Amino acid sequence: MATQIVMDHSGDTRHYFDANDAKALLEAEERFLKLTGAGFTAAVRTASGEPAVTRRFDPAAGETLFFPRLVGG
Amino acid sequence: MSAPSPSAAGQGIRWSLARVARWAHAIRSWQRERRCTESELRGIKLLREWLSPVQLAQFDRYGYFDVVGCDSGKTYRICYRCGTNIYELDRDGRRKVGWCFVPVDTLVAGDVVLAQKIALETSERRALAVARNFMPSWH
Repeated sequence: MATQIVMDHSGDTRHYFDANDAKALLEAEERFLKLTGAGFTAAVRTASGEPAVTRRFDPAAGETLFFPRLVGG
Repeated sequence: MSAPSPSAAGQGIRWSLARVARWAHAIRSWQRERRCTESELRGIKLLREWLSPVQLAQFDRYGYFDVVGCDSGKTYRICYRCGTNIYELDRDGRRKVGWCFVPVDTLVAGDVVLAQKIALETSERRALAVARNFMPSWH
């Protein structure tokens, strides 16, 4: 199962979906676009484990992490 | 009966010190996590999943970890708390300048430091462009 992890006040919320299910994949893409459109950054891990920012929905990504826009503290 | 050789005695001391260090680490982790809410524990779990093995070992031992900025190659130390927690290190590993940038939403500390790590490792210039700097109070 692929996972979209969204950081929030509860720690995170995880959305699991079957990448082979067209409907689930469409929902995951819509969630990706909604979150990134709202200013969230989407990150995935490369094969070597390093983080990489992604701006396009990748149906093959096993895990995508979303965190809110960053501001000066 | 002969006395143990100096090398054997040295090995014994090293083994004992390593054992004490492991116990101290276990106690520190237990104390930290005992005080945490469920949300904070979830944040720590997510952070641990995304740290590199070296960063994870550093975090477990000291409560902070180092990252290398993707643009400048500078080293930053991220401490486990929600703000004024990033220090740019000099070549000798001393705190040179502090940087503060946080997610716009209120998040638990584990999420905050994970977002900071990813930002510095993937978009250092953009992250520092919104950050405020401060002078570290001690080295």
